[in-house]
Amino acid sequence: MAEYQLNIATPDGEFYSGPCEELIVRGTQGDLAVLAGHIPFMTALVPCAFRLWTPDGNERGGRLEGGLLTVGSRKDENQTVTVLTTHAEWQDGEKDGNE
Amino acid sequence: MPANTRELRNRIRSVDSTLHLTKAMELVASSKIRKATAKMHAGREYADAVTDVINVLSGCQECQVSPYMRKGSADRIRLIVIAGDRGMAGGYNVNVFREAQKYPGAEIYAIGRKASARYGQEIRGTEHYSYEDAAELAVRFCEDYRNGLYDRLGILYTQYISMMTQEAKIRWIFPLAAPEQAPAQQVIFEPDAAKVLEETVPLYLTGILIASVRESYASEVSARSSAMNSAGRNAQKMKDDLTLAYNRARQGAITQELTEIVAGAGEG
Repeated sequence: MAEYQLNIATPDGEFYSGPCEELIVRGTQGDLAVLAGHIPFMTALVPCAFRLWTPDGNERGGRLEGGLLTVGSRKDENQTVTVLTTHAEWQDGEKDGNE
Repeated sequence: MPANTRELRNRIRSVDSTLHLTKAMELVASSKIRKATAKMHAGREYADAVTDVINVLSGCQECQVSPYMRKGSADRIRLIVIAGDRGMAGGYNVNVFREAQKYPGAEIYAIGRKASARYGQEIRGTEHYSYEDAAELAVRFCEDYRNGLYDRLGILYTQYISMMTQEAKIRWIFPLAAPEQAPAQQVIFEPDAAKVLEETVPLYLTGILIASVRESYASEVSARSSAMNSAGRNAQKMKDDLTLAYNRARQGAITQELTEIVAGAGEG
């Protein structure tokens, strides 16, 4: 499955930065999933649980304290999807996504 | 021993204890610098990212009517003043307050123990300022702005330029200004740009606020470290001078005593 670069940024630093196949979050209009090749897109997020699937087949979940989702241009080789949020945490209580 | 040497000895002792104090404070401050600057960089990155988004949004045609972009009289200023938690940081707090004095009519919201004490507000520290505090404040201030309770919002913080240089300055938040050139990228907003802008502004203010507090804190510890360093140097110099004077006085007293004994022996 095609992948894209996902960055989840908080004021305390980068929460997650790495490849991702699918991300599910909740926008102000309802739940949405982002796959590679998504159209450039921007929406506000409400406080919600999120799930993401990485290319190595892992599924991870956590919580976002609301924020903003930006899907970058798909013309680029590496499409970038950015989530800006004031606070994020993994479901299993880990603070850092790059372990 | 004559009174002069005793007095000198007392002064040396007092300068010596000042020296210990400045050394200890310098060590504490410099041990905090690394962590503070790391946090500052993280906050800055986030603030830059969210500022980029705001620039895209405020360049959109449909956002021009947003209450956050209203222009008009700008005489009711609200200022978030971020100063230190403690003194002994050279001109750090003074510079912030001097800058604040340029806006005598402004409604002030203080962050930092020194600022809270000066403006007689509830104590809010800077070292452990959390995103919850910032988010709560941002939501409240955004609502007030939409309701027209004030016309301009600025954050007075201390910009960290380097370990040696920090500068108190104001970052103006509201009204939002459209970027000079409209962004070229074609983005779909859901449900529409105005709504996304409305949702993003509190996030933007939260991000900028946290970044400003972190940056001010990094400036504070750096300012304290260098202030204590130079205070320590001055104290050391003073101690050396006093020790020299003390030794001279002591030597003088001994010489005088010897002269007296020799003179006495000569008479006898």
